[in-house]
Amino acid sequence: MNKHINTYKYFKNILIIFSLLLFFSCMEYGPRETEEFYFDGKGVFITNEGNFMYGNASLSYYVPDKHVVENEIFVRANGIKLGDVAQSIVIRGDLAYIVVNNSSVIFVVNKYTFKLVGKIDGLTSPRYIHFINDEKAYVTDLYAMAITIINPKTFKKIGMINVNTNKNQHPTEQMVQYKNFVFTNCWSYDDKILVIDSNTDKVVDSIKVGIQPTSLVIDKHNKIWTITDGGYAGSPYGHKAPGLYRIDAETRKVDKEFIFKFGDWPSEVCINKSRDTIYFINRSIWKLSVDEDIFPKEPFIPNNNGDYFYGLAIDPETSEVYMANAIDYVQDGIVYRYSPQGNPLDSIRVGIIPGAFGFK
Amino acid sequence: MKKITISIICCLLLSTFSYGQINKKRIKLRQVNVIAKRPFKETGVVKTEIDTIILRESITNSIANILSQNTSIFIKSYGRGSLASASFRGTAPSHTQVLWNGLKINSPMLGMVDFSQIPAYFVDDMSLWHGSSSVNVVGGALGGAICLNNIKPEKGTQITLSQGYSSYNTIDDFLKIKIGGDKFSGSTRISYAKSDNDFKYTNYNKKNFPIEKNKNGNFEDIHILQEFYYKLNNGDKLSLAAWVFQTKRGVPMLNVNYNDKDSDNNLQKDQNIRVVSTWKRSKKKLSLESKLGFSTYDSRYTLNKETGNGLKEVLNSHSQVYTGFINFGADYFFSDKFMLSSKIDANYHKVDNYEEYDEVGYKQERPEITAFIAARYKLTNRIRLALNIREDYYDKFTPIIPAFFFEYNIIPKINFLFKSSISKNYHYPTFNDLYFLPGGNPDLKEEEGITYDCGFEFEYKIENNFSFKGEITAYNSNINNWIIWLPTFKGFWEPHNVKKVHSYGLELKGKLYKKMGDLDISLNGNWANTQSINQGNPVNWADKSVGKQLVYIPEYSSSVSGNIQYKGFSLLYKYNYYSERFTTSSNNKKTRIGRITPYYMSDINISKNINTKLFDVNVKLLINNLYDEEYESVLSRPMAGRNYGIFIAIKI
Repeated sequence: MNKHINTYKYFKNILIIFSLLLFFSCMEYGPRETEEFYFDGKGVFITNEGNFMYGNASLSYYVPDKHVVENEIFVRANGIKLGDVAQSIVIRGDLAYIVVNNSSVIFVVNKYTFKLVGKIDGLTSPRYIHFINDEKAYVTDLYAMAITIINPKTFKKIGMINVNTNKNQHPTEQMVQYKNFVFTNCWSYDDKILVIDSNTDKVVDSIKVGIQPTSLVIDKHNKIWTITDGGYAGSPYGHKAPGLYRIDAETRKVDKEFIFKFGDWPSEVCINKSRDTIYFINRSIWKLSVDEDIFPKEPFIPNNNGDYFYGLAIDPETSEVYMANAIDYVQDGIVYRYSPQGNPLDSIRVGIIPGAFGFK
Repeated sequence: MKKITISIICCLLLSTFSYGQINKKRIKLRQVNVIAKRPFKETGVVKTEIDTIILRESITNSIANILSQNTSIFIKSYGRGSLASASFRGTAPSHTQVLWNGLKINSPMLGMVDFSQIPAYFVDDMSLWHGSSSVNVVGGALGGAICLNNIKPEKGTQITLSQGYSSYNTIDDFLKIKIGGDKFSGSTRISYAKSDNDFKYTNYNKKNFPIEKNKNGNFEDIHILQEFYYKLNNGDKLSLAAWVFQTKRGVPMLNVNYNDKDSDNNLQKDQNIRVVSTWKRSKKKLSLESKLGFSTYDSRYTLNKETGNGLKEVLNSHSQVYTGFINFGADYFFSDKFMLSSKIDANYHKVDNYEEYDEVGYKQERPEITAFIAARYKLTNRIRLALNIREDYYDKFTPIIPAFFFEYNIIPKINFLFKSSISKNYHYPTFNDLYFLPGGNPDLKEEEGITYDCGFEFEYKIENNFSFKGEITAYNSNINNWIIWLPTFKGFWEPHNVKKVHSYGLELKGKLYKKMGDLDISLNGNWANTQSINQGNPVNWADKSVGKQLVYIPEYSSSVSGNIQYKGFSLLYKYNYYSERFTTSSNNKKTRIGRITPYYMSDINISKNINTKLFDVNVKLLINNLYDEEYESVLSRPMAGRNYGIFIAIKI
């Protein structure tokens, strides 16, 4: 008899435990709530890359006059994630085009409401977008060995430009345009600036610069400025001192070069509205007039505490300077805003690895 | 969340307490069994032994499943057939050292072990050496060590064939042939698993929440293990174990990938050989053991991408590792009260890593030698002490690794012990840390840890009808020079000795067994509180990571399994819980895109044994993710919903 009571009690206890487990067994996962936004007037979009293969890229929106920042606006407006590695953003008309590299997609959102208008997919590893006209844009690519031609109105892929010459993959990056010619730098294990005729959609020329050109801009004299990082010690592609190269867009010849010291790592060349001053990062932020022949001795904005400056942009309206700092790369980063004279104006906390800016 | 976990634990304790009270009367009537003495070699050691029943639960299990469901180790898993790395007491994957029959199987390149590549059916004896206890078996295990061993088969001949078919077109096969004799024994095991692993899930990360299939998650693994055992006339034992395997796996796509064509694909193909031969001599006072072995590792990762000229391979990374291994160990008992152990292990690694398209890679080699001596002393019948000294060498000597262990048997009847230990430990950088291109940093120092452990354990047993075992351990560990890869202004990542990590916590284990006539009930529980806190210097004023939990380490974790057996029927329920894991170093809880919310998982299996004169048959039905949870366990990696498997095993 006693034994039966024992058994009964024993089972009762086990049942209690199991039912407890049952009760608490529900994970928090599923659709997200959305919010309504409407921001007209001056604003800055900031893309936060997020960590590679984490899918935690995000979009921030900053109103400089009001010192207001809204983070993760893409997921808040649309209920879905931006994706994996948000590489760049371009604003055109009422739309913002966000290139999400490792998600193989370009999202198009309304620049006032942040609501998704469309998406361009079927891409390989998109990096940057450049508009030729209202119905044609180029998308560079890290792995495709081609530039994708898209129609920015219909969001459809309409063609490809093969850039695969010889053995080289030519990972294409940023783009600038002179007349009907689009210039694009090839960074990873490469040393070329490719020239594409936008009338024929064919590669027509290539310009050799230093090892690994990271970025490029075009100034008021139609000179293209590109900055190379020189590779790294032990690289099979070689290791050279990094440099700042100036190319004449008409003749496609390098007509000026500043060579940095070994161990310098310049990047992110940018230009202001009047296209008479270039800016770039080399530990600190540097500024150089396009007419200057002598390289400045002192940085424009010095880096005193050894931070790693990751992203740089110049407001095309105000020439204010935006610098992104990713801190340790696994937490929300910081964006600093400076006056055109280099005085600090504001600092805002955005998302993980802030990298690119879009000015509205 | 804390409350829920605690309430579960309380409930567990309460139920066992009330049961204990009821049994008081019976204790008087029945004789209490004498509990087996703890081995002298394990003086003061915190060790978890995994029951063979658990290892043999399902042919689908890898050691990753065993660890997450039965121990306090956290396994970061991307799903079946994908990488599963371990965090022991909140440390990095390279801080868990794994020995297979004495051979270190951590990748010399990466430092870690992929536990999804070890089938549970290939292991006969498994033990975990927590924290400082690990220095008894291996150096460099700042979190702890895991020993996986094979054991000589029992007498007789037996053939076991298991086959299973599960959801997503998954096939599992296992064959074991063993011959056990007086002098010669041998065993052959073959396991094969293949799956499309293309489960459907609702994608909440895309507009309109489409139902999508897991892409590129297929896998095909084959393992063969051959063992020979031979007893010489003088009583010496020789053995040889050879394990060969090949795994072919796709790395599944993220649920934020919009490449709708299945054209983009990648493949990781690994081929390994591991061989260990052992000579053993056990005399009354002296036992000697020597091992000779080698391993080869060949891994190729390829990535195909859609290009302007159609589908093309864009990445082809090939890594080869060759390791030679020799060791010699001796234990000597001077008396019942005093023993000495010593051991010397030597490994020689050769690593060759090359990526074809960027034409970049490195070739390096290095020896790794470790010498160990331990003195153990029984002060009284109840107090035992041990002192260990270990010395590691890799290109250079690490400082001496000392450890001290103490145990006091408070109530010998139930082996109610107090245990305590302290050790210093060093973990040296991996080949990739030192030589990887670009970024490898040859100036790295070894990671340095100091760990204190203390705890209680007991075992209460009444004949073979009832047993209750429990253990509680608190630990505190400080790791300096923690190696972390950080981006630099050079545009690539570089490893540096930057982090200081303070890891501390509590581990609770309980095991209950009750036999009532034909009914066998067992309950097994683990609970851990793991604080793994970044105590490094802030990167700049804006750094919010100091004082925060490391990324992906759960603060609370628990696992409970209950098994009921009745006349050949068996019901097993497994439950697993992890508290929220952070994906940012600042532990951001406000983010809408980076949260891994608390994880609760229930699996169940039912089986029936049928014994005939000629053979035994076991039929098993398995249900994973019983409550059909939709979840991500790693950011942007969808996981399978409820899935099923049916298995049949024949033993002759």
